[in-house]
Amino acid sequence: MSIVSGVFLVVGSALAMIGGIGTVRFPDFLSRMHAAAKAPTLGLLLVAIGAAIEIGTEIAITTLVLVVILQLLSSPVGAHALSRASRRQVVVQLDDVDQLTRDEQDGPAAD
Amino acid sequence: MIEASLVMLFIGAGCFMYRLLRGPSLPDRVVGVDGLLSTIVIAIVVVATDKHSGLTVETVLVAVLVGFVGTTALSRFIERRGD
Repeated sequence: MSIVSGVFLVVGSALAMIGGIGTVRFPDFLSRMHAAAKAPTLGLLLVAIGAAIEIGTEIAITTLVLVVILQLLSSPVGAHALSRASRRQVVVQLDDVDQLTRDEQDGPAAD
Repeated sequence: MIEASLVMLFIGAGCFMYRLLRGPSLPDRVVGVDGLLSTIVIAIVVVATDKHSGLTVETVLVAVLVGFVGTTALSRFIERRGD
């Protein structure tokens, strides 16, 4: 195994581990989602780069590019849907104004 | 380096499994499932790199799509069940 692809694999796996540790350690739901949604996505990107360097066949590189594009598209959508759906069921530290509830009551702000 | 990667992925999967089992609310458990599936996807890519197998990589495509559909469906379920 070449050094470059090995470093990519180790750093990507370390990002997945960091996401897991953040999921355990962070205090409230949105912080946990922040840790679980972003870090493993970048980890998958790095690991896919390392695997594409090491394997090198055409079919593997094509599949890995497809996997990375799908993950980059679907991970933020899933995280957004989950956090929006569950905002009434978890305790969240808000700022002064809850803009989503305000928009739902008053209609969207006039531009 | 494969061994170091797999050890770190094992630790991360254990952390996500802790959140899946202990999570005080249902959305926390969904976060645990999502992260666990992402960790499994990364582990499959690492093993495919070890075996130099292009065919093993194709499994990952299915896993990513199943993870997206699962998270979205569970979030719709949570929203509809809401108080």
